[in-house]
Amino acid sequence: MAKSAIADAGIRLCINGSEHLLQIEPRVTLLDALREYAHLFGTKKGCDQGQCGACTVHVDGRRVLACLTLASQVEGLAITTIEGLAVNGSLHAVQEAFIRHDAFQCGYCTSGQIMSAVACINEGRTGSDTSIREYMSGNLCRCGAYPHIVAAVRDAAQAMDLGEGRGR
Amino acid sequence: MSTTSSESLKSNGAFLGRRIARADGVAKVTGRADYALEHDLADIVHAVIVESIVPSGRIGKIDLAAAQTIPGVLRILTHADALPLKSCPMVPAGSVMESFLPLQDDRIRYNGQPIALVVADSFDHAIEAAGGVRVDYQAEPAVADIDDPTARPIDVPGAPSSGMGRGDAKGALAAAAVRMEATYTTPREYSCPMEPLGTIAAWGTDGDLTVWMPSQWAEGARRAFSEWFAIPMEKVRVISPFVGGGFGVKVTAHADALLAAMAAREMRRPVKLALSRPQNFTGNGLRPAIRQNLTLGASEDGKLQVIIHENTSETSVDDDYVEGGAATARVMYAVPNLSSSQKLVRVNSFTPSWKRAPGEAIGAYALESAMDELAYKLKLDPIELRLRNYASQDPESAKPWSTRRLREAYDAGARAFGWERRSPEPRSMRDGHELIGWGMAGGAFPNVHTPGEARVTIAADGSVDVASSGADIGGGTYTILAQTAADALGVPFEQVRVRLGDTSLPRAPVAGVSQIANLLTGAVDKTARAAREELLTLASSHAGSPFKAKRANDFTIKDGKIAPTDGSAEAVMISEFMRMVGRDRIEVTRNTMPADKASSESEQRDAYDSFKYMGPSSATHATYAWCAQFVEVRVDEDYGTVRVRRMVGAFDCGRLYNPKLAESQWKGGMIMGMGEALLEAIHIDRRYARITNNNLAEYVVPVNADVPDIEVISVGEPDFHASALGGKTVGEIGVVGAAAAIANAVFHATGKRVRDLPITMEKLM
Ligand code: FES
Ligand code: FES
Repeated sequence: MAKSAIADAGIRLCINGSEHLLQIEPRVTLLDALREYAHLFGTKKGCDQGQCGACTVHVDGRRVLACLTLASQVEGLAITTIEGLAVNGSLHAVQEAFIRHDAFQCGYCTSGQIMSAVACINEGRTGSDTSIREYMSGNLCRCGAYPHIVAAVRDAAQAMDLGEGRGR
Repeated sequence: MSTTSSESLKSNGAFLGRRIARADGVAKVTGRADYALEHDLADIVHAVIVESIVPSGRIGKIDLAAAQTIPGVLRILTHADALPLKSCPMVPAGSVMESFLPLQDDRIRYNGQPIALVVADSFDHAIEAAGGVRVDYQAEPAVADIDDPTARPIDVPGAPSSGMGRGDAKGALAAAAVRMEATYTTPREYSCPMEPLGTIAAWGTDGDLTVWMPSQWAEGARRAFSEWFAIPMEKVRVISPFVGGGFGVKVTAHADALLAAMAAREMRRPVKLALSRPQNFTGNGLRPAIRQNLTLGASEDGKLQVIIHENTSETSVDDDYVEGGAATARVMYAVPNLSSSQKLVRVNSFTPSWKRAPGEAIGAYALESAMDELAYKLKLDPIELRLRNYASQDPESAKPWSTRRLREAYDAGARAFGWERRSPEPRSMRDGHELIGWGMAGGAFPNVHTPGEARVTIAADGSVDVASSGADIGGGTYTILAQTAADALGVPFEQVRVRLGDTSLPRAPVAGVSQIANLLTGAVDKTARAAREELLTLASSHAGSPFKAKRANDFTIKDGKIAPTDGSAEAVMISEFMRMVGRDRIEVTRNTMPADKASSESEQRDAYDSFKYMGPSSATHATYAWCAQFVEVRVDEDYGTVRVRRMVGAFDCGRLYNPKLAESQWKGGMIMGMGEALLEAIHIDRRYARITNNNLAEYVVPVNADVPDIEVISVGEPDFHASALGGKTVGEIGVVGAAAAIANAVFHATGKRVRDLPITMEKLM
């Protein structure tokens, strides 16, 4: 595939439906690409080592850790970050449920929790509280909002089911 | 007793006391809350710290040649050429917790100490170059930890070696019919907020310094920069509107903040310095390892005669950080004789620091474990033993309690938990191969007060702006201050905007010791009432006012409308009224300094940038928050694995400004206590005095799957000795007693008393 000199030096990322041409080296992680180059700070860096979940984003609808993903690996794929979750200013059911259940305090883990929660619901892992706890355990919360996160995910899963009219 | 009982408490307004969702909720769930490292500045460059890999000695030659060849490297600072700094006085007179200043000499005090700083055009270039810095060390012997064979306990410099106390502890112990003595040890722990430390610093051409950093105390950080760089306070602005968790570690500015500012000055460009997660573990703010020796003496019928508390804790080579654990023992029970003493062990570490409920968390772990042991010895129910020793006044000061609904907490907690169904014998409850354990413990947290300042502005459109430099570290300051102002002014909650965490705003002291909610609601209430007064003075006297009433207190303001109380005229929207009287704003600033000091600028500074004005919230009464916690654990008999099955906490925190948010903090504290009981410990490689588990996979904190259902109950009632609006401390009490309740439950399950936290499986095998 022929590439122009400019495209050669950069990486094209599709973030929340918009194209971003970023001049970055191949070693730059998706997390740094989002924060330092695309200036989308909603995705958080809690460890940069794949240990906390704060950097969770969706790539083609699946949850991935942006700190363990190179930006160059996801060129051309659909990247969704917390900034892309609300549609036309109306919050996603999971975002609403997080507010309603006070599923955060400091808010630093929250972007990752919410991105994980949306995926967890889509993966069909919200059948029981035990299952929610298990499949939300990749996202640390030092403020200890876990019980409220479980309640929010349970609640949002039901709302999404109703909204989409599908049973489980 | 329901979890929402505080809602029915008499409150003086419509919004305080209600379960209102967080004012900053939308910002946080959409990723728009701007944390410190999330600012774009033109020309910004990145700095990365190079750390010492030996714990003690001198820096020999530093070879920068390889590092300097990395593309994008702009500068590498070492002690040879770094800017000389002045020291900042430490708390309580100043605002830092460690005397160490980075890159000032060739001396190495701890493994992980910053010894060079690489500045480059990108984060990746800076990291690569940092890895290329070659250092020759002249290593010297180090003391790795409290158990190091070369560690020597010393008296606390400046403190009496005999300790403190009341009555005749020795005599009472000799006379006591029943004695219980045990040593409880707790490891180094890290509070580990999810947002790592990091700083953006920028100097203006006029010598002004602007710093974005996560801070529990922006005024304190401002003072530190002013002292370090010998520039006036007015030249420093610290911005910290959102803090991604603090828990003590973000109370004071640390080396990262200082180095970012130093590099920015050197480079004449904005510098971003993000500590890596491992650097967060090895650079600042661990709770020290602590050994507590507790001796209880009691009569046959379980009346405590004496408590002797001997504490030894780690500190650094340079500083005397004391984490004592006796504070809880002093106030928890009606015991006439008590002595407490403190020793320090100097280790090659950075200066330890606060972790949520410093002193109280570990102190309650030891005391409430010892009480449990005594209860078994006396064959008494643990609650009964506590009730037999119930303190009806402060045994330390002999002052009356302001409020102490601890009896109600024991009751409500026990009832919710089903405590009466407990079979007292250890190992007597089981479910298949799982041993079931039920344990309980109590806790106390002091109520302190420091003055604060606030500004309330009513704008032409009737909206209200509340401003303070105080922090919201997740406790809910944004929300409860909006509730406070809405109530005091009579406007809808949604009409109030709160701005926080910026030293260009009116000043506030530290968001620590759980004091910020109480002191800032007091300051905002006072200020908003003054603004209301000004508005109503216009209503009663201004020529443009549509009203005939002539006294300010002839009016009411409700739902943002002003009306004469007697109904003689139609209500008018504040915005409309402002237009009628030709005002585009009403702006009022007030502080809650003692009246004789309120006008002194230097006294005010002391109040906000040191601990000078921090003190008990009442002169006449002893004011504490109280709790009783109940836990069920399941222990696998074969493997020794402990799972917490349920937790119940009953809390007396006075009036709750917002029960929804208070409950979140209580639960969060209990979960952190679970981590302390079962999971968390810093491990040290004694050969190099190096922290080996410097990451979130190996420093194990509770995850979602560890945490069961938690029920929290409020038994408090308004306490106006504790604070202006009747609240007591909320933020830290949740962690106090949690570890003891779990440890006691583990004993009940297994019959094995583990006195060394965390209780990991190998200790139960
Ligand atoms: S920042 Fe990616 S998992 Fe922690
Ligand atoms: S809300 Fe603070 S870390 Fe989860």
